[in-house]
Amino acid sequence: MNRLYLIAGVLFVFAIAVVVKLVDIQMVKGKAYKELAAKKTEQVFTIEPNRGNIYADDGSLLAASVAKYEIRFDANTVSKDNWEKYLAPLCDSLGVLFDKPSAYYRQMLRKARANKNGYKLIARNVEYLDYVRMREFPMFRLGPNKGGFIERHRVVRDYPLGKIAARSIGYERVDEAGHYTRVGLDGAFGKKYLRGNEGKRLKQKSAGSEWKPVGFDNIIEPQDGRDIVTTINTNIQDIAHHALLKQLEKYKADHGCVVVMETKTGEIKAISNLGRTEEGKYYEKLNYAVGESHEPGSTFKLMSMVAALEDKVIDTGTVVDTEKGRWRIYDRTVRDSKWGGYGEISMAKAFALSSNTAFAKMIHENYKDRQTDYVDRLMNMGLHKDLGLPIVGEGQPVLRYPGDKGWSGISLAWMSHGYEVSMTPLQTLTFYNAIANDGELVRPRFVKEARVGNKVLKAFKKEVLNPSICSKETVKIAQQLLKDVVEKKYGTGHGLYSKDFSMAGKTGTCQKNYVAKDPEKLAYISSFVGYFPADSPKYSCIVIIHEPDKSVGYYGADVSGPVFKSLAEKIYITSPIADEVIPENPKEAQIEKAFQQYYAHAQKKYLKVPNVTGMSGMDAIAILENLGIQVEVKGNGKVRSQSVEEGVTIGEIDKIVLELS
Amino acid sequence: MLQLFKNLKGDKAIWAIVALLALFSFLPVFSASTNLVYVKDTGTTVGHLVKHGVLLFLGFMIIYAVHRIPTHYFKGLSLIGLPIVLLLLGYTLTVETNIGGVSANRWIPIPVIGVKFQTSTLASIVLMIWIARYLSKIRDRQISFSESILPLWVPVCLVIGLILPANFSTAAIVGFLVIVLCFLGGYPLKYLGIIVGTGIVLAGLFLAVLYKAPEALPDRAGTWKSRIDTFIHPEAASADASRQVNYAKMAIAEGELFGKGAGKSVMKNILSQSTSDFIFAIIIEEYGLVGGLGLLFFYLLLLFRIVVVANSAKTVFAKLLVIGVGLPIVFQAFINMGVVVQLFPTTGQPLPLISMGGTAIWMTCLAIGIVLSASDKNQVAPKTVDIDDHNPLEVLSGQL
Repeated sequence: MNRLYLIAGVLFVFAIAVVVKLVDIQMVKGKAYKELAAKKTEQVFTIEPNRGNIYADDGSLLAASVAKYEIRFDANTVSKDNWEKYLAPLCDSLGVLFDKPSAYYRQMLRKARANKNGYKLIARNVEYLDYVRMREFPMFRLGPNKGGFIERHRVVRDYPLGKIAARSIGYERVDEAGHYTRVGLDGAFGKKYLRGNEGKRLKQKSAGSEWKPVGFDNIIEPQDGRDIVTTINTNIQDIAHHALLKQLEKYKADHGCVVVMETKTGEIKAISNLGRTEEGKYYEKLNYAVGESHEPGSTFKLMSMVAALEDKVIDTGTVVDTEKGRWRIYDRTVRDSKWGGYGEISMAKAFALSSNTAFAKMIHENYKDRQTDYVDRLMNMGLHKDLGLPIVGEGQPVLRYPGDKGWSGISLAWMSHGYEVSMTPLQTLTFYNAIANDGELVRPRFVKEARVGNKVLKAFKKEVLNPSICSKETVKIAQQLLKDVVEKKYGTGHGLYSKDFSMAGKTGTCQKNYVAKDPEKLAYISSFVGYFPADSPKYSCIVIIHEPDKSVGYYGADVSGPVFKSLAEKIYITSPIADEVIPENPKEAQIEKAFQQYYAHAQKKYLKVPNVTGMSGMDAIAILENLGIQVEVKGNGKVRSQSVEEGVTIGEIDKIVLELS
Repeated sequence: MLQLFKNLKGDKAIWAIVALLALFSFLPVFSASTNLVYVKDTGTTVGHLVKHGVLLFLGFMIIYAVHRIPTHYFKGLSLIGLPIVLLLLGYTLTVETNIGGVSANRWIPIPVIGVKFQTSTLASIVLMIWIARYLSKIRDRQISFSESILPLWVPVCLVIGLILPANFSTAAIVGFLVIVLCFLGGYPLKYLGIIVGTGIVLAGLFLAVLYKAPEALPDRAGTWKSRIDTFIHPEAASADASRQVNYAKMAIAEGELFGKGAGKSVMKNILSQSTSDFIFAIIIEEYGLVGGLGLLFFYLLLLFRIVVVANSAKTVFAKLLVIGVGLPIVFQAFINMGVVVQLFPTTGQPLPLISMGGTAIWMTCLAIGIVLSASDKNQVAPKTVDIDDHNPLEVLSGQL
C-alpha cells in the first residue's frame, strides 16, 4: 500500500503548507493585518465633558447645561394584551402630566398603532424629572422592547433668568466645521474654563452596532468644565432690565442698554441690552453696551472738561459767551438746545446746562494752536483704547489725531461736545466710574472667579488700567460739576433730583443720522451716565436709549434719566448703604434732642475738658475718648459728676472718672 | 454507562480524537454564535449552544449505532443506498433554497425536527462505499475500461452531475476523492488517466463557458466565477468579495502566538460565517497559532490513525472503506483551513466536528462510525459458507 502513504504524505505536505501560510500571515504580514483589524474593530470615542455653569454673584444660576428629553413611542412593539390593558391608564397619566384630555392621547396612540408608527413623537423638551415620571407610566414602564418607550436626549443650555441678560450671559456654539460662535460670557470663558476637556475612550466593536469600552481606564479622562461666578447681581439685573424695558416701551425706542458697575471694583452688577422686534417687542438682541461704538454726544463734555482743567486752560469760573446759542465756525454752526443761548456763563454752569457753544468755543479757542495737546490729553486718559474685555466683539473707540483722515478745522469744536469721536456705552461708563472712583480707572469686570465645585480655581482681581487719570483737584472739580447737573436748579439733570438720596451724572442728547440732512431720518441717542450716592459713590451707571420716538421726547434727561433714577432708587432701598438710609419712622423728639446735643459737642474742637454732666453716659464717653482722655465709669445712666472740672486743659490730665446715676 | 463504554468497539484513538474535537467545538461555537445572535439576529447564544450540543449528541448516537454494524454489511447498504441518494439529489435540486439571494438548491428540509439536510454529503459517503465495494471486487482480476464504465463511472457521473449545479466545490471535491480512492484501490492507472484527462478537458470547457457565456450556466455560476477571480487576483477583487478572506486573515494576525483567550474574539462580529466556514480563523484569534496548530495536529493524528486502521484492515473492502470515508474527513478539514489561509478559493466547507452546522455533523459522524466499524479487529471476515440465510443484508452483502 505505498500509494496510501503517498496520499497521506501529500496531505501531510498540505498540512505543512497550511502552517507555513499561517505563520506567514501572522509573522510576516501580521502587522499590516493587525492595523487593518484595528481600523475595523477599534475606534477612539470622545467623551463629551459637562459644560460648566455660570453663576450670579450670589450663587444663583445664570446658565447651566441640562438634559432635555424627547419622548417617542414605538406602537409596534407592544403586545395586544399590554396594549389593551395599559392604553387607558397611560393616556390618563399623559393627560395629567401635559394637561391635555386623556382622549387626545388615546386618539394619537391608536392612530400610531393603526399606522404601525414605530417612532411617534409624544413630547419634546421634557425635563429630567418629568422624564423620570414618564418612564414609570403604565406601558412605558415595560421598557423600550415591550412598552415602546423611546427616549432621546440632548444637552441644552438652560437659562434660569430666561431672556434677562441673555446677550451678556451669552452662549457658545460650534458648527460642523469646528467654528465657534462665541457670545457673551459663556463664549468668552468657554475655551479656558467652561468647555472642559474631552475625554478619549478606546472602544472595540462588539456584536451588532454596539461598541464596548476596552480596559478599565479612559485614554484621556474627560474633565468637566469649570464653573464661572460672574459679578452679575440678579436683583440689580432684574431692576435694570425692567426699568429699561419700561422706558423703551414708553418711548418706542429702537434699542437701549443699561450697565451698572460697582465703583470701587469695576464689577458689572447688571448689563441689560434690549432691541426692538418688528412687532415692537423688546428682547436681548445684541450686546449694545459692549459692542456698539457711537458718538457719545454731551456725555463727552466731561472728558473735554477734565482735559481742559488738567491743562489749566480754564477753570470752572472761566466765563464764556454762548453767543445767543449759535456759534459759527468756518461754514458750520454749533447750536445750543435752548434757542437764544444762555448768555455769558461760567464753564461750571455751561457744564450743568450742557451748552454746546460754550464747550465748542472753549476747546476750539484754547487748543486751536496746539491741537495735539487736547487729543494727547484725552489719549492719556485712555479714551482711544478699548477696554480689553473678555467678551468677543467689543466696539472700538474712535479718537482722531490731528492730521488723521477726517480731521478738520472744526474737529476740536465738534469733539468737545461728543461728535467726531465714538465710544461704546461701557467705555464711557468706565471713564465716569474713574471720576467717581477718585481718578482710578478700573477695567469693567464680569467674572469674579472660576471654580471647580466649591474650590476656587482662579479669582479674578480688580484690574486698574490707570491709577490716576488726572489730578486729585480735577477729580474733585469734576465730581462737583456732575453733582451740580442734578442738584442745581438749572442743571439738565435736575429733573432726577431727589432730596432722599444723592446722584451725580451727565445727560446726553446726541444727534444720529444727521449727515443725511433729512429731518425725517434725524434721530437721537438719549443718554444718562453717572453714579450714586454722589458723595461716596457705590455704583456707576449708564443708560443709553437709541432713537426714541421724537414725538414723545428725546432729551437724555427725560428718556434715559428716569431709568437711572429708578435704578438708583431701588438699589438704595435694597442695598444696605447704612449711612444713607432714611429711617421711615419719625424720630422721637427726645432722642433727637439728645442727638443734637451730642452732635454739637462732637463737632466742636475742644482743647479743654468739656462739661458733660447731664449727658447720657455713652455719649459722654464717646466725646471724651475722642479727645484722647481715658475714661473710667461708675454706675449707670446720665452723668452726675465728672472728676475733672470743665475748662482744664486736656494735655494736663490722663484720666477722668464719671459718676453716673 | 460503563456498559456503553464496554460496547465501544474499533480504534480507541479515533474515538478519543473525535470526542476531544467535539468537546472542544463548544468553545468556538459558543463564542462565534454571538455573530448569529447579534449581527444576524437569529436565536440566542444559549439556544445555539444547546442546538449544537443536541446535534453532537445525536451525532455520537449515530457513530455508536453505525460502528456496531458489521463492516461487510456496508456493501449491501451501498447497493440499497445509491438509488435512494440519487433520488434525493434529484429532489434536492427541485427544492428552492438560496444563499445570499443566489439560488443554491443544496438542502432539503427534514420535517418534524426542522433542520435542513445537505444531501450531497450523504451521497458522497454512499458513493465512496459503492466504489470501495466495486474496487475490492475487481481487486484480483484484469478488467477492461468498458467493463468498469457501468458499475463505476456511471454512478460516479450521476452523483457528481446531480451535485454540480448547486454546489460546484463539493462536486469537485467528490470527484477528486473518487480519483484518489480509485488510485489507492488499484484501479488501472491508464484507465484512470483517461478519466482524469476527460475531467480536465471538461473542466476546461466549463471554465471557457463560465467566462465566455456565463448565462448558459445556473445562477451559482456568478459566485463561482467571482470566487475564482478573488482567489487569482485578490487585489483586483471588489472589497466585498475579498472581505471575508481579509477578515479571516485579520483574525489570524490578531490571534498572535497564544491568542486572545476564549470568547475574546473581536473579528467574529464582522466575519460572517464565523461559526462554520471561517471558524478556524476565530479559533486562531482566540487560541493563537498554538491553538490552531494543536487543532491541525489532531486532524493529522486522525489521518495517521486512518492510515494505521487501513493498513491493518483484514479485508480489502474494509481497507478501501476506511480510506474512502475516512480520508474525506481529514481532506475536508484541510480544505477548510486552506480556505481560511487562502490556499484555496472560498468554498462552503465546514470544519468537520468543529463547525456549527446541522446535518454535516451527522454525516461526519456516519463516516466515523463506518471507519470505527472497519477498525474493529474482532470482526472476522465472513466466509461464504457462514452466510446466515435469514439476514437479507448478509445475503446481499455476501453476493457482492
